Amino acid sequence: MMDRLTKTLLVVVAALIILSPIGILLVWNYSDAWGEWDVSTVEHMVGQKLPGMEKLANAWNHAVLPDYNVPGWEDKLHASIGYIISAVVGVAVVLAVYYILVRLAAS
Amino acid sequence: MHIPDGYLGPYTFGFFYAVMIPIWYRAFKWLKKLRPQQVPLLGVLTAFAFLVMMYNMPVPGGTTAHIVGGTIIAVLIDPWAATVALTIVLLIQALFFGDGGITAYAANVFNMGVVLPFVGYYTYRFLNRKLGLSEVLSSGIGAYVGIVTAATVAGIELGIQPYIQPGYCPYKLSVSVPAMAIAHLVTAGPAAAVVTAAVVWYVKKSRPDLFEMRTIMKSRG
Repeated sequence: MMDRLTKTLLVVVAALIILSPIGILLVWNYSDAWGEWDVSTVEHMVGQKLPGMEKLANAWNHAVLPDYNVPGWEDKLHASIGYIISAVVGVAVVLAVYYILVRLAAS
Repeated sequence: MHIPDGYLGPYTFGFFYAVMIPIWYRAFKWLKKLRPQQVPLLGVLTAFAFLVMMYNMPVPGGTTAHIVGGTIIAVLIDPWAATVALTIVLLIQALFFGDGGITAYAANVFNMGVVLPFVGYYTYRFLNRKLGLSEVLSSGIGAYVGIVTAATVAGIELGIQPYIQPGYCPYKLSVSVPAMAIAHLVTAGPAAAVVTAAVVWYVKKSRPDLFEMRTIMKSRG
């Protein structure tokens, strides 16, 4: 059962998926968010080795769509398509986990 | 605001796992009480939170920032609903997209899923109930205060790391806190205020019962 507000928000979600490339195209020539650079970038910026960071940085390297993109899709058009694919996959997985959690909580 | 793996050392990220375990327990207990008719709404808002974080906005100085959507969920449903939503969203972002670390996961949920919605919500409630500001304006200001506070807390976590254990985040408090706070004061904060106020305005118009129902529930205790 779905009320009208939820239906409207579903349309908003669909629009956000389609328009998501705005989220990379607007910042195409920008660096990452502050404090989200990779190890070599940080080490280069501060001019020193960071052994702890080097050890932990790859604690997880099984992301299927790293940086919300299909690996290797570097140009604006491909990255935009990769971004939309990531949005669809992300929403699908998030909803699946949410409904599993709701089930678990209800049982 | 997604702290990657490697910025926080074991003591720091371990501390946040210890802090988050009772909070996750409490959030899960809250989820048990979620009314069936609210299940689709929280689902679609969780998807919404995932998507708004994909909208990176330019920050003067060359970095980027994004909004989170936590205050919207807190105002429309409950701050605990935002904790549940952001716990899911941040897990998927870390596992599938490498956005935010696995070791830093608990710290990230603490910042975006606890500090942000609770500060946002109580700011909203104070302005609305005590100062009599409209729900729309109160929620917008709440979202602004919430995201700037969360970013500042993230800056503190990063900035104390050099004092706790060197070799991880090299930036001290004097660098990390202003950097995180300013990015969200000038870019993500205003965006969060506008988006939150717009959503709350629309919901008030189309579903005023969502607000009235809660006022009745709260006054009954």
